[in-house]
Amino acid sequence: MTTSTFVDEKPTQNLEPFKGVKKVPHEEYYTSGHRTCQGCESAQIMKLMAKAAGPRTIVLGSTGCMYVANTSYYSTPWGVPWMHTQLGSSGSAALGAAAAFRVQMRKGAMKDEPINVIAFCGDGGGADMGLGAISATMCHPDYNLLILMYDNESYANTDIQISGASPYGVNTSFSTPGKVKRIMNHRWKKNMAPLIAVGHPTVKYVSTISTSYPLQAMNSVRKALSVGGPTFIHCLNPCPKGWDFDPVLSFQLGELAVNTGIFPLYEIENGKLKMYGKSKDIVNGRFKRLPVRDYLLKQGRFAHFIEEDIEYFQSKIDETWDKWLVPGIIPLQKDVEAE
Amino acid sequence: MGQLFAVEVVYRGVFQKTLAKNITRDIVLAAHNEGKLGISFGRYGDAPERNGIPAKSFAIVANDEQTLEEGMAQYEPKHVDLTVVLDDTLSKGAESWAWYGLQPVHHALKPGATLIVISQEDAPALLKNIHRRDKAYKLAILKGITSFSGMWVFKDDHTDVRVLGAIASALPQLFSLNSVLQFINEKLKSELKVISARNAFDRFSTVDVPAGQGNPEELFKFELPGWDHMRDGVSIKGQPQGGPYADPVTGEVGGFRPARNELFKKYSTRSMRPVVNFSTCTKCTLCGLNCPDASFDITPDGHYDANLESCCGCGICEEVCPVKECVTMVNESEFHDNKSQWEAFRKDKDAYLNWLETTIAKASPIEKRSHGFRYRGQYQEQVPEALEVARKG
Repeated sequence: MTTSTFVDEKPTQNLEPFKGVKKVPHEEYYTSGHRTCQGCESAQIMKLMAKAAGPRTIVLGSTGCMYVANTSYYSTPWGVPWMHTQLGSSGSAALGAAAAFRVQMRKGAMKDEPINVIAFCGDGGGADMGLGAISATMCHPDYNLLILMYDNESYANTDIQISGASPYGVNTSFSTPGKVKRIMNHRWKKNMAPLIAVGHPTVKYVSTISTSYPLQAMNSVRKALSVGGPTFIHCLNPCPKGWDFDPVLSFQLGELAVNTGIFPLYEIENGKLKMYGKSKDIVNGRFKRLPVRDYLLKQGRFAHFIEEDIEYFQSKIDETWDKWLVPGIIPLQKDVEAE
Repeated sequence: MGQLFAVEVVYRGVFQKTLAKNITRDIVLAAHNEGKLGISFGRYGDAPERNGIPAKSFAIVANDEQTLEEGMAQYEPKHVDLTVVLDDTLSKGAESWAWYGLQPVHHALKPGATLIVISQEDAPALLKNIHRRDKAYKLAILKGITSFSGMWVFKDDHTDVRVLGAIASALPQLFSLNSVLQFINEKLKSELKVISARNAFDRFSTVDVPAGQGNPEELFKFELPGWDHMRDGVSIKGQPQGGPYADPVTGEVGGFRPARNELFKKYSTRSMRPVVNFSTCTKCTLCGLNCPDASFDITPDGHYDANLESCCGCGICEEVCPVKECVTMVNESEFHDNKSQWEAFRKDKDAYLNWLETTIAKASPIEKRSHGFRYRGQYQEQVPEALEVARKG
C-alpha cells in the first residue's frame, strides 16, 4: 500500500498486552477518592483505562458522572493529568490536546515523546451530544488519540434520564412506565462502535469492552493507544443506581450482557473484525446465548416488563444474531439487491 | 414568629431515597391535617445522589406562612426538632452538606430532642457507634429490619408509617396520632398501615443519653483551603504514586499500597464490609483487579487486604472471589474501627481466625441480604419477615 506523503503520523508508545492478571502492574493512576456509587463500573473502567495507559498519559473528561463524582470538593482519584471538557466536546478536546502537544514538541517547549491522549465521554456525551465532534475527530489521520465511551445507558449524573444508548423499554426519569402506556422508550439502543468503524475509514481501531473482562478491556486500551491515529472504544458499564440492582451484581450483569448476546465483544483493527471472549463462542456455535430474561429480571429498571415485552426484547436480540450481515454488529440484511 | 418545626431524615442514598422522600412528604401531609403548613425537600449537596452515601431529606412545618418562609430561608435547617435515622450503620457518622468531613448523626439535633434510629440492636450497642455530644438528648429505637430498595422499585414494608407513628409520640406538638391515622386512611388507604403506625406509637419509648455518653472517636475532618490558598487555574493536585510497605512482624518490605486521596474518604457509605480469610486466599488478584475503588493493598506476602478507609462496601470482591470461604461481607455495625485485617492476621494468626469465625457467623447469607434489587419478587418475599420483626417490636 502506498502511503500519503501529506499524512503526518507520529510514533506511539507501543504498549504490549498484559500477558495475564498476575502480570498486571500494581501502579494505580486512578486510585480511591472518587464520590461514585457502590459498585460503580464506570469508575472501574476509568481505573483500568488509566492502569493500561500508564504514566505518560493525559486524560480529558466530558461532563457526566466521571466528571462530577471525580472532582467535586477535592475528591480526585487521578494520578495522571486530567482536565474537564464540555459535555459534547470529548472529540474536540482530544484532537486539540493532541495537536497542542505536537506544536509544543515541535517548538521544543516540551520533550518530544509519544504521550497518550485519551478523552472519555459517557453515553450522553458520546452517543448523543458529542457525536458530531467525535465524528469530525475520527476523520483526522494525523493525531494519535483514543476516545473511550463509558456507557451506563442513561444520563446517570443528573439522576437517570434517557439517552440514545438506553435500551428499549427501560424505566428512566424520562420514561416512567404508566398505567396506560407501559413502554415509554420505543427506541432501540444506538449501535456506537460500528457507527464509528463503518463511517470513518480513517480509524484503525475500534472495539467494545466490558469491565467484567478486565484483562481484555485493558489490553484493548493498550492496543488502541499503540495502533495510533484516532481510535474509539465503547465500554458497557452496569450502573447499580440507574439500572436498580444490588451493587454486588455489577460484575455479574456485565457478564450477562455479553452472554445473552445483548452486548457483543469485538475489535475492528484496520478493517479486520475479530469477535472475542464469549461473543466469539456464540458466533462459532460453541456457546448458546443465554435468554435475555436472565439479564432483564435482575434489574429494577425492567421490573414493569410483562412476558410480551421480554419476548419482544428476545426477538430483537435474535434478529441481530440471525439476520444481520455481521452478527450482532452490522444491521444490514444479508441479501444484497443488485441490478 | 409562630412555631416552627424541622425534622431531618438521615438515609442511605438511592437505597432509601424513595422511603425518605415519602416520610418527609407524609410528615407535611399529616401536619396539614392540623391546619399547619409545610414543605419537604432533599439536600442539594447530596446530588447527584450515590448508592449508600449518607444523605438527608427534610420536612419543615409551621403554624403560619411567614414562619414557614423564615424556616425555608436557608439551604438546610441548622437545628432540628427530630432526627430520624433509617439505617443504624449511619450511626457512625454522616457527610456534611457538600464535603468538609464527617459529622455525628445527631449533628443538628436540638438539646433534649429525640433521635429515632431504625435498628434491631439495643441502646448500648448503638451508643458504641453514635458519637458523644456535649448536650443531652433522647434516643428511641424503632425495632425493624433496615428497609433498602432502589431507584425504581420500592419495598413497601410499612417503615414509612411506622416512623410517622413514632414521630407522633416523640413530638406531639407537630401532629397527633389521629392526624397520622387520618392521613393514612385518606391517602394510603390501608388498614394494615393504620395498625403498623398505631403499634409504633404505642410502643414508642426513649432512653435518656446524658452529655458525654457515646462513641469518643474524632470524626474525619480536614482543613478547607481558603481562596488565597487555591492553585492557579482552578486546578488541584493529583494523587501521588503508591509503593511497597513493611510487614508489621518481619519488617520485610514488599507488596503495593496505592496512594489514596487524603481529603475524601468513602467509608461512611458502607453498610457492610469485606472480611478476608487470608489462610484460604489463593492470591488470584481478582478482588483487587475488580475493585472500582482501588481499595485493596497488596501485602508484602502477596495477599489482598481491604483498606477500610476507602472501601465503600459494594461487595464485588465477594462476588468475584473464586474461593468459597475467603471474602465475606458482614454488617458494618459489627465493627468499631477501620484497622487493617491483614496486620491483625500477621500479628496473631489464631486469634484472627477465631475472630473471623465469630464475625462471619453474624453475616447474613447473600441470598437473604437486602442491599437493593436482585430479582423480581424478592421484596414481596422479604416484607412478611419485616412486618413480623416490626410487630414483635
